[in-house]
Amino acid sequence: MAECDAMNEQMPLLLTESLGREERERAHQHIENCAACAAEWKAYRATWSELGELPEVEVPARVKEQFLSTIGASRDSKVIPMRSRLAPGPRPSALPRWFAQAAAVVILVGGSYYAGNRTAPLRVLPSPATIQSVEQTPYSIAETRVLNASAISPNIEGRPNIQNVQFVDADASDNQIGVSFDVTSRVTVTGAPTDKSLVRLLSYVLERDNSTSPSRSNAIDWVRRTYSDPNHADPEIADALAKVLRNDTHEGVRIRAVETLKDMSPASSGTRDALIDALKNDPNPAVRIKALEALSNLAKAGTALDAKTIDTLRAKASQDDENPYVRVKAAELLSEIP
Amino acid sequence: MNHLSDQELMKIVQAGDYAPASEIYDRYSGRIYNFAFRFLKNAEAAEDATQEVFVRMIKYASQFQGDAKLSTWLFSITANWCRDYLRKSDNKAKEAEDVLLSLPASSEYSPERDLERRESELRVKRALGALTAEQREAILLSRYQGLSYAEIALIAGCSEGAVKTRVFRAMETLKKALTADVGGGGRWLNATR
Ligand SMILES: [Zn+2]
Repeated sequence: MAECDAMNEQMPLLLTESLGREERERAHQHIENCAACAAEWKAYRATWSELGELPEVEVPARVKEQFLSTIGASRDSKVIPMRSRLAPGPRPSALPRWFAQAAAVVILVGGSYYAGNRTAPLRVLPSPATIQSVEQTPYSIAETRVLNASAISPNIEGRPNIQNVQFVDADASDNQIGVSFDVTSRVTVTGAPTDKSLVRLLSYVLERDNSTSPSRSNAIDWVRRTYSDPNHADPEIADALAKVLRNDTHEGVRIRAVETLKDMSPASSGTRDALIDALKNDPNPAVRIKALEALSNLAKAGTALDAKTIDTLRAKASQDDENPYVRVKAAELLSEIP
Repeated sequence: MNHLSDQELMKIVQAGDYAPASEIYDRYSGRIYNFAFRFLKNAEAAEDATQEVFVRMIKYASQFQGDAKLSTWLFSITANWCRDYLRKSDNKAKEAEDVLLSLPASSEYSPERDLERRESELRVKRALGALTAEQREAILLSRYQGLSYAEIALIAGCSEGAVKTRVFRAMETLKKALTADVGGGGRWLNATR
């Protein structure tokens, strides 16, 4: 009986093949000759086998993105909601330049984590430290911050000099988007496209009179993808695009803006006026053609075109020195108006 | 990069070049995540754990001994993180009560087979959930990660004898939980289809 008890304790070892050869032989011999232990062994094996019914789960892809972005190993820095951060570490002397930029992360997960800070202006909050720094670290992510959307006010105070804007939609199905930028630190804002804080932030990104920013075209492309969904329609975004259309000195940017406006509905009167002004005054015929297409979409969507618009269309259709395509488009649109 | 050994990759990291981070992540993230997920019974926490483990791997790369197994070292970091997590009493409440079942939606499974698997899976999850954290840690590393008792002892910070006891007690409990209703509800339903 004592031998059976000892045998029992060895069974897990037998299962994991962790017994030496001699012990293993002895165990199997006992099991073969002892009905009680044989039953026990059968139950052990059934248990061990049933444990194998637990399937492997897949690691969500965002975990890798977060990891690589945290250590700065991914240049496109796909920052998405993260719940944990490293504690500040000492700053090393030779950091890669793009990592030496102070970085912060603003998170809009719609949760209550920073709910107490709802009215705070856009600013970088210290992130909760989760591990202690116990030695010289090879790099510092002290400036990487996590902020909740509810921690920042929709009203952006002052004119923060935001740079290197990037956009994130890690999971298209979760109604969460992200905007990443450098201020005095790296910031990523994520949240629903309809979140007012995000709308204002995006409008600000679009409106900033910094036409040399390489991110402007990306910004517009991205806004287009996100906000052409009628569920996300927002007049402030349209107004911001209208301003881009009026003011940007880069025709590529203006074309993107007008294309985006074309896809957005419903249009405000500000949008319509911007389209008409573009049609009248934009030096680039491609922009003027797109403006006509956008106006045509408005008409099809049921927006009544006022007398001023119709006058402009007539003038365009008959303007001798206008681009022929613009004239044809204007005439077409006029013929579509009831 | 994928032809280099773990040790060679870690040497590069130790020299301050994080280029191998992605490769190392690909090698071990699945095991780390699954272990953390089963240990903590919480998918979100397991995500945090996985990310933190690899960040710590980079951060504390200098502490990795070239002659050690990287898997053992990574599981040590993971187990530490998980134990810290469980120690915070408010995290206990976050345990996902059920059922993040992620079976492959493969056509080879009939609905009945699928049901059987799900029942089995649920029973295993409940049974594992009933273990103490120490026992669960030991059985997860032994059964699912195939680690030796010596490795588990390093990871759990205890003696091999203690690991042996933990696995034994865990198996006793699991055996009772998993073999108790053989012939009962779920099996009966499946047997009569
Ligand atoms: Zn016996």
